[in-house]
Amino acid sequence: MKRTLRRSTLILLFTIAFIVGIGFFSVELVLGARDWVDQPYNAHISGNGGLEQAGKIMDRNGAPLAETVDGERLYNEDETVRRALLHTVGDNSLNISTAVQSKYRSNLIGYSLIWGLNMPQSLRTSRDITLTVDAPTCAAAYNMLSTGFDEPKRGACVVYNYKTGDVICSVSTPSYDPANPPQIDENNESEYEGVYLDNVMSSALTPGSIFKIVTAAAAIENIPDIYSRSWYCEGTEIIGGHEVHCYNETAHGEIGIKEAMEHSCNIVFAKLAVELGADKMNAQAEKMGINASFKIDDVGTAKGHYQAPGNDENVLGWTGVGQGVGAYEDKVNPMQMAMLCAAVANEGKAVNPTYIQSGTGDVLKDIGITRNQSHDLIDPNTALQLNDILPAYNIGGLTVHAKTGTAEVGDEKRPNAWFVGYSTDSDCPLAFACVVQDAGLGSEYAMPVAEAALETAAQRLRGKM
Amino acid sequence: MFNISVLYDAGVVGLRIVMPLLAIIIVYQCYAAMRRRRRPEKPLVSLYNPRSGGMIPVVFWENSIGRSKSSDIVINDLSVSRNHCVLLRRSAGWFVSDVGSMSGTFVNGVRVNGRAQVLIDDIIKVGSTEYQLKRGNDFNSPLRSDKFFSKVSDKPAIQAWKLMFMITMFHLFMAVEAMFWNDGGNVYSPMILFGALAATEWIFFSVSYFALRRVNFELEALGLFLTGIGVMMLVRQAERSAYVQLAAAGIGIVLYCLIIKFIEDPDRSDKIRLPMMIVSVLMLASSIVLGRVTNGAANWVYIGSISFQPSEFVKTIFIFVGAGALDKLQTKRNLIEFIIYSVVCVGLLALMSDFGTALIFFVTFLLVAFMRSGDIKTVLLPVGAVAGTFGLLSFLAERINFIGDRFNYVLNRFKAYRHVWDYANEAAGYQQVRVLTYIASGGLFGVGIGNGYFKQYFASESDLVFALVAEEMGVIVAIVTALAVAMLMIYARAITTRSRSTFYSISACCAAGLLVVQLSLNIFGATDILPLTGVTFPFVSCGGSSLISCWGLLAFIKAADERTYSIKR
Repeated sequence: MKRTLRRSTLILLFTIAFIVGIGFFSVELVLGARDWVDQPYNAHISGNGGLEQAGKIMDRNGAPLAETVDGERLYNEDETVRRALLHTVGDNSLNISTAVQSKYRSNLIGYSLIWGLNMPQSLRTSRDITLTVDAPTCAAAYNMLSTGFDEPKRGACVVYNYKTGDVICSVSTPSYDPANPPQIDENNESEYEGVYLDNVMSSALTPGSIFKIVTAAAAIENIPDIYSRSWYCEGTEIIGGHEVHCYNETAHGEIGIKEAMEHSCNIVFAKLAVELGADKMNAQAEKMGINASFKIDDVGTAKGHYQAPGNDENVLGWTGVGQGVGAYEDKVNPMQMAMLCAAVANEGKAVNPTYIQSGTGDVLKDIGITRNQSHDLIDPNTALQLNDILPAYNIGGLTVHAKTGTAEVGDEKRPNAWFVGYSTDSDCPLAFACVVQDAGLGSEYAMPVAEAALETAAQRLRGKM
Repeated sequence: MFNISVLYDAGVVGLRIVMPLLAIIIVYQCYAAMRRRRRPEKPLVSLYNPRSGGMIPVVFWENSIGRSKSSDIVINDLSVSRNHCVLLRRSAGWFVSDVGSMSGTFVNGVRVNGRAQVLIDDIIKVGSTEYQLKRGNDFNSPLRSDKFFSKVSDKPAIQAWKLMFMITMFHLFMAVEAMFWNDGGNVYSPMILFGALAATEWIFFSVSYFALRRVNFELEALGLFLTGIGVMMLVRQAERSAYVQLAAAGIGIVLYCLIIKFIEDPDRSDKIRLPMMIVSVLMLASSIVLGRVTNGAANWVYIGSISFQPSEFVKTIFIFVGAGALDKLQTKRNLIEFIIYSVVCVGLLALMSDFGTALIFFVTFLLVAFMRSGDIKTVLLPVGAVAGTFGLLSFLAERINFIGDRFNYVLNRFKAYRHVWDYANEAAGYQQVRVLTYIASGGLFGVGIGNGYFKQYFASESDLVFALVAEEMGVIVAIVTALAVAMLMIYARAITTRSRSTFYSISACCAAGLLVVQLSLNIFGATDILPLTGVTFPFVSCGGSSLISCWGLLAFIKAADERTYSIKR
C-alpha cells in the first residue's frame, strides 16, 4: 500500500502541472484580455455593438470627432471633417479595422476584465479618447484630395511632429461619411474599392523618385568623392543593355549630386545604383526600414518592398530611382516615408508616430515609457548631408526640405504623384508624406495636398487660427 | 437621472457575482467533507513477535511483507525475500498470500500455496521469523495521522442535504439567469429543465441516503454539481440536447451504482479480466467497422437513432483491467498482457483518427503501468516509442497521402501552436482565437446564461465548453469547475492507503489521473497552451457517452473510499 501511495505521486505531478497551467493561463488572460476582446469577429462589439454607451473621441484641441448622445453615435458636425477622419476615427461598423473605434472599441465602451462586455447598459462606464490629430488640418488635406483636381483622387496624406511623434494630419481617400455610410453593392463597388483601407497605414505604392533619398544615402556612405563627381545627362542612356531615361526624356546636361537630386535626374541615380551594386543597395534599403513594418499604436504599417537584382544592371538602375519591375518592383508605405523623412530631419532618428494623446488605458504610454520610442533609420552624419542636398521649399511660412516623385505604374494609369519631406522650423517640426494615385507630376498633384495640410498645420500649431 | 432599470440591472449583476462565490463554497465544502468522517487511526490487527516481544500494527487492508524497505511491514531477516508475502483482509477475514518467496510462508506450520486464511492467534512464519496474529486493540501506542485527514471527527463537515441544497440553489440561479435571456424565447423553459434536473439530483440523493444507507455523498454531490452545470448551459443553446444530457446523466448514475456493486469484491477483476479485454477491443473494432466519420474521427457508432462513442465506455474498462489486488500484482509482475492490450486500444483509436482519446489512453496506460511496476522505465520507454512514431508519421505524412490525410490536421495544429493569432481565420487557429476572445469578453462574472455569442460556434458545447462557461458565467466559475475535477486526484491519492485493496487505490488514482489529463487537454488545447484539441471536459461537456463514462470513472474513486462498503448509516 505504501508503494502504491508513493507511485501515485506521478499522477499528483500531473495535477500540479494542471494547476500551474491554469495559473499560466490566468496570467495570459490578465495581460492579453484587451487585445483578445478587440477582434472583428467578436459579436459583443461588432455591428453597433456597445457604441450606444461609448465614450467620446476628440481631436488634439478637444473638438468632438465622435460621441454618443442619447444612445446615438454622432460624428463631427462638419461633413468634411467626418470624411477626412473616417480612417482614423472609424464608423459604427468594424470594417475599418485600423481605426480607433475598431481598435479600442472595448476601451471606449468601458471593457474591463472584471465586468466583461455585457454589463447592463445602466451600469456601464465608458472612457474618452483624445487623439493627436487636428481636425481642420485633416479637412484641408481632404478637401484638396477630393475637390482640388479635375476629379476626386485616391491618395493619402500624413503629417506628424517628428519631435513628439504626434500625428497632426492623416487622411486617406476614397472615403465616405460615417454619419451616413454607403450601401456598397455591385453598382458602386468600383467607386468604393479599397474604401475600408487606410492608405496611410495599409497601402504600399510605387515610390518613383522619392526613393532617390535611399539611393543618395547609400552613395553618401559608400562613395567618398560623391560631391566632386559630375555626370552628363542626355535625358536617356543605355545602362545594362536597356534604356534608362529621365521624366519626359528631359536632358539635364552636366550636373553634380545636388543638382541631380533637385532635377530628379534618373540617369545619375540609376548609375549610382549600378555603381553601388545590389548588395549595398539592399543593405541600405534594409537599414532604412523599407522592407519593415513599424508598429504604430498596435497596428503595423504595410511593409514596403525593395529587392535589387544582382544580375541585371538595367533593373538595378531602375530600382535605384524607385521604379523596379516584376519581382524587383519598389514599394513604399506613406507612413513609412514620413518616418524616413523624420529621420533625415532628426539626425537619423525617426520618433515613432502616434495617433493617441490619452485615454486608451495603456499605462506604459500614460506614464511615458513607450512614448517617444524611436528607430535609428539613418546614420546621423548621412542625415545631415541628405538635408543639404534635398531641395528646399517655402510652404505656408515653413522652411521645407522635400522630394517630389512621379512613379510610373503601368496598367494605363497615370503616375503616382508623391511629395515627401519635413520642415526645419523648430516651433513646427513636421515630417510628411503625400501621395496621389492615377495623377501625374508630384509637383502638380502631391505638392498642393501637402501645401494645404502644412499651411493649416503651421497656422494651427502656431496659434494663428 | 435615476432609473428603475438601474435597480433591475443591479439585481442581474448581483446574481452574477453571487454565483462564483457559491461555486467556490460548494467545491470547498465537497472537499472539506471528504476530509472528515473516517475511521479513527487504529490498527486493524497486529502482529506479535513472541521471540522479541515486539508488536507491529497492521494498518492497511493489504500489507506487503518483506525485507525491502518499501514494504508495508519490513522484516530485517536475511531469510526473508525482498517481497515475501501479502497479508490482506477480505470480507471473509484475514488471509496471507505468498508472492514467490524463496523460503516460503507458513500458517501454523503449513506452507501457504495461494491464499490461506489466518485467524486470530494463528502463527505466521515468514523466513525464520514467526508472528502471531492479534487483534488491533492489542496495540496501544497512538498512530500518526495523515495531514489531509488531520480533522478526523465523527461529525461531517457539512450535512449532505445542506450541500445538496446549495448545489440545487446554484442550478436554480443558472435557470433564473437563463430566464433573463436577451433574445426572448420561452421564458419558463429554463425552469422546467431545472425542475427535471433538481428531481434527478434529489432522487439520487434519497436513494443513496435512505435505500443504500451510505454515510457520505460528497463525491456524488460534486458529480451532480458539474453535471448540472453542463445540463443548464445547454438550455439557451440547444434545449433538446439538455434533456438528452440529463437522461445520459441518469444512465451514468445507474452505471455508477452498478460499478460500485460489481467491484465490491476486489478479486473479481482478476477472474473476468480477459473477457473484459475482449469485449472492449471488440467495441473499439466495431466503431471502425460500423462507425461513421464525424468531424474527422470515425469514433461514433449509430444504432437506430441512438449514437454513442464506444471509446468512452472502454475508458472505464481500461481502468478496471489495469488495476489489481496487491498479492496478484506482486506475483504476476510482468505487464506484457496489459501492454499488448494497451497497444491494441491506442492503435485502434489512432486508426479512427481519434488522436485526442488515443493520447488519453496512452497517458492512462503510463499511469497504470507505473502504479503497478513502480519502474520509471515503464514510463520513459513508451514515451520514447510514441515520440518516435510521431516523428516517423510526420515524416511520412509529407510523402504518403494515406497517412498525410489523417495526420495533416494534427500537424497543422502544431504549426499554429503559440501563434494562433496569425491563423485567426484559418482552421489551425480559428477555434483557439475565438475561445480566447470570448473568455475575455465574459470577464470574471460572465455575460449571463444565454447572452453569450460563443454558443453559436461549432463544438462550443463539447470540446470548447470551457470558453462557453467562462463567457456566460465568468472565468471564476470556469476555473472553479476545472479545479473541482482536478482536486479529485488529490482526494484519490489521499485515500490510497485507506482503500480496501490496491485494486481500488490504483483504479481510483488512474481514473482521477485520466480525468485530469482529459481536463488538461480540453482546457489547454482550447486556449493554445497545449497544441491538442478534441476531447471533452469531464462531466460538463455535452455528450452522453462522455458523461456516462465520467460517472463510471467516478465510481472507482468512490469505491476506493473504504466507507463505501464498510460503513452503513
